[in-house]
Amino acid sequence: MAAAREIVIIGGGHNALVAAFYLARKGLKPLVLERRPIVGGAAVTEEFHPGYRCSTLAHAGGPPLPSIVSDMQLARHGLQKLESPIRMFAPTPYGVGLTLYSDTKCSVEEIKRFGSKDAAAYADLHQALTRAAEITRQMLELTPPDLDKPSSHDAWTALQIGRVARRLGKKEMVRLLRWGPMAVADFAAEFFETDLLRAIVAARGIFGAALGPWSAGSTALLLLRSAVDPYPVGNSAMPRGGMGALTSAMASAARQAGAEIRTDADVVKILVKSGATVGVVLASGEEIATKTVVSSADPRRTFLGLLDPVHLPPSFVVKMQHYRASGTMAKLNLALDSLPSFIALRDASDAKSRLAGRIHIGPEIDYLERAFDHSKYGEFSSNPYLDVMIPTILDPSLAPPAKHVMSVCMQFAPYKLKNGGWSSERDALRNSIIGTLAQYAPDLPPKILAAQTITPADFESEYGLSGGHPFHGELALDQIFTMRPLLGCARYRTPVRGLYLCGSGTHPGNGVTGASGANAAREILKDFRS
Amino acid sequence: MARRYDAIVIGGGHNGLVNAAYLARARKRVLVLERRHVLGGAAVTEEIIPGFKFSVFSYVVSLLRPEIIRDLDLPRHGLEILPLDGTFTPMPDGNHLWRVNDHAKTRRELERHSKLDAEAYEEFGKQMVQMCRFVKPILGMTPPDPGSLDPRGLKKFAFLGKRFQSLSAEDKYNLVQLMTMSAADLLDQWFETDVLKATMSASGIIGTFLGIRSPGTTYVLLHHYMGEIDGAFRSWGFSRGGTGAISNAIACAAREAGAEIRTQAPVARILLKNGIAQGVALESGEEIYADIVSSSVDPRLTFLKFIDSGALPTDFLEEVRRYKFRGSSGKVNLALDALPEFTCLPGTGRHLRGAISISPSTEYMERAYDQAKYGEFSRRPYIDIVIPTLTDPSLAPPGKHIMSCFVQYAPYKLTHGTWDDQREDFGDTVIDTIAEYAPNLKRIIIARQVMTPLDIERTVGLSEGNIFQGELSLEQLFFLRPVAGWARYRTPIERLFMCGSATHPGGGIMGAPGRLAALEILKEKVKH
Repeated sequence: MAAAREIVIIGGGHNALVAAFYLARKGLKPLVLERRPIVGGAAVTEEFHPGYRCSTLAHAGGPPLPSIVSDMQLARHGLQKLESPIRMFAPTPYGVGLTLYSDTKCSVEEIKRFGSKDAAAYADLHQALTRAAEITRQMLELTPPDLDKPSSHDAWTALQIGRVARRLGKKEMVRLLRWGPMAVADFAAEFFETDLLRAIVAARGIFGAALGPWSAGSTALLLLRSAVDPYPVGNSAMPRGGMGALTSAMASAARQAGAEIRTDADVVKILVKSGATVGVVLASGEEIATKTVVSSADPRRTFLGLLDPVHLPPSFVVKMQHYRASGTMAKLNLALDSLPSFIALRDASDAKSRLAGRIHIGPEIDYLERAFDHSKYGEFSSNPYLDVMIPTILDPSLAPPAKHVMSVCMQFAPYKLKNGGWSSERDALRNSIIGTLAQYAPDLPPKILAAQTITPADFESEYGLSGGHPFHGELALDQIFTMRPLLGCARYRTPVRGLYLCGSGTHPGNGVTGASGANAAREILKDFRS
Repeated sequence: MARRYDAIVIGGGHNGLVNAAYLARARKRVLVLERRHVLGGAAVTEEIIPGFKFSVFSYVVSLLRPEIIRDLDLPRHGLEILPLDGTFTPMPDGNHLWRVNDHAKTRRELERHSKLDAEAYEEFGKQMVQMCRFVKPILGMTPPDPGSLDPRGLKKFAFLGKRFQSLSAEDKYNLVQLMTMSAADLLDQWFETDVLKATMSASGIIGTFLGIRSPGTTYVLLHHYMGEIDGAFRSWGFSRGGTGAISNAIACAAREAGAEIRTQAPVARILLKNGIAQGVALESGEEIYADIVSSSVDPRLTFLKFIDSGALPTDFLEEVRRYKFRGSSGKVNLALDALPEFTCLPGTGRHLRGAISISPSTEYMERAYDQAKYGEFSRRPYIDIVIPTLTDPSLAPPGKHIMSCFVQYAPYKLTHGTWDDQREDFGDTVIDTIAEYAPNLKRIIIARQVMTPLDIERTVGLSEGNIFQGELSLEQLFFLRPVAGWARYRTPIERLFMCGSATHPGGGIMGAPGRLAALEILKEKVKH
């Protein structure tokens, strides 16, 4: 058995790399073990067809917390942010389309076409979310308090947040409390009359979740997301070279700080003796001894897969089995001969630039809700909600000259299908997505040179996401903050001594922000000092 | 000028009457004004068909607070609760699920479906009781205001925080789940028998426009469990003479304490003088003055109908307009010539004496909700049936029976058409649905009364026909009910109070809002 390592990090996703960096920066020597041939986890760029590369899963930046970007000096490690002035384009099948710009003034102008009341409301919404983010932003970067025995430090942070809350003022604070548990459809309706606009905003509360716009609690998800980017419809920036470029920059920063990263190193077991970790075992049979294991794998995989449950309290195991992590998202990556032409852009002079941000397919609240309904009964949506990007518009290097790549996040595709498994449904899924897109851009199908369909089953088998859940578990009211992944286990430590969590299955665990990794590293370092 | 009162209570529903009774007991001169000819609001018994006394709307009792029963000495005033034994769920495949109050029996029955579930069922019951113990004191508490720094409020939050602290790790975990999860998700964690989950989850959606898979429904489930803890008396039951008898008992207590009660006295306006409530004007034009006006009707009526908008702060009005009602339930009351016979359990045995729940599967329940989401009533609805005449024969002529059917979902807002032209179609749908399980039903119906959400609104004045005076959704509970900052029964208008189900702790024949409001009113010092 090889020489003992100081810290082993399971998984090479963005949170793992962020954790590795912060640990290494403090002089520790973390060893990152990634199952696949490349690091990045769900934030990777891969060639899915000769000459065509694409952000395989996640396609838009979280974005990563500014503090992380600057600490890791990601720019110096090759991260280049590409962002079009257009955040989102939302077409309808009947020709109308709505474009939202990074510059709120432009968005407001655009929305005036639908109604001056909505235009004003849009500015209000942006302002409200920006104010809310003053609090929620702080929440992201702190370790959830220990409800059983709050430390003086917890009290202190509570006080800090209290102060910010006070600055917000009573009205806005209470409003925040009221919004959290609400259905995002109601939230959107508090601001807008235009159904299309409601749907665009509501989508942010259901993206990647097993929730429809009428599900209570979906507003909490929207608020959690706007903590990172208070812009109403979220972020559309992407790194040059796709999401993989972000994680390779992170990897290089971590390496330079002193971390070691091994790919094709599939951890299959966490070794525990008398309640404490003693090492990990790789698929190759190789054993690596260590007292500290940090798992960026999702909680189910960590506790029910890599760990022998005998090392956990039975009640903990039961709760973990109840931890909801059943994905509803599928991904379709298309190689295109040329750009499709959207009906809604028929007479637009700047059609190409309109498509440079994210493209939202989901014109009505009811449309989104109906798409969700299917998933409740183990079927995938016939008219799905789609979040689309054409990264080649900003970054032609991803495809051969004049060719394009289209990246499509599809909902709802339930991990558990009513009849049979996903293997037999793959084609039907792809066709329903392409069919839906064709309603908005009829000339798309003939332009398709190749397609990569990634079902929730693939999310699990290929990328190790239990239940195919892109966020390592539902971001539901009972699975966030002090309850993520479980109440009493939300401080990155686990019932097993020396075993930590640093993945999206921990607070705040939402998209490619790196916050979970940074928070975990902070807690681990505390334990090393003491 | 008419005689002056200490307090006028608008609305003679159970909360209005409880409110009046408590004020009268504190030696206040109280006047209750009821719009209809009969007292009780949604807790009324009416002889719609000669000889048949229907509990037209609310049909079972459980949540009525024990302290109110005690303080007002309701049994002496005629309140008698008759036990409602168990829940019978017929299934399309000829099977059934029949849970009764007798643990051993229920256990054996559950074992027929699943040994594991029989085990889990008792555990689940214990845990719900635990959780109810935690929530109970909150039901008896005027909500603190998170926005203010008032020390009494902060004390209450500290108190709640300490209580939460004192829970075991297990209970903390369970409580968090109960407050946030969907009934279906929670029950999935406990049980494997689908019909059991379906019929239990029903208590999570009653009176709300939510499906069993909607987060937050577990709280409503708990809300309905409150009645099932500590012993028979407060377990679900009928009140002899129908739910109207409860209202009458409270009215008697109020009158005995000196309250004056007038029926057929519809209020038109709340009288204000430089922003202070002075009394009310009836539709007849009569003006009645009082130091305090206490409204038991919902916020929409109180603030948007009885008061001209100019008198209220705009952001408050905004919140009142935003307050969600969304009635989702209807009622079908049947006069029967004989008892229905269920194919899956023939005969007219004890299984007809309890609740009969049409909730055969979780998918059935969720699909019923899906239809309603898009503005149609469920073609195969969830139905909660009781046959009170088996327990209280006095409600119908000898040998005849009454069948009360509570139906979800019936959305107040229909996408196509109006309730006036869909009422009978709705009634037929309900009867057809039940007839699939009890084929003889159609032959034994003497007469029927169909109550759509619109009818509920018209008859008892519940906006949008919401039986709880507003959704019991998380954002409309506790210090957020009905409006954040105004959850302490007070209103932006001095000397105007709220005492109805739209205030904490909300709906059901509970009486808590009426009592808590009275306690707040009695704190008010009125200078002349």
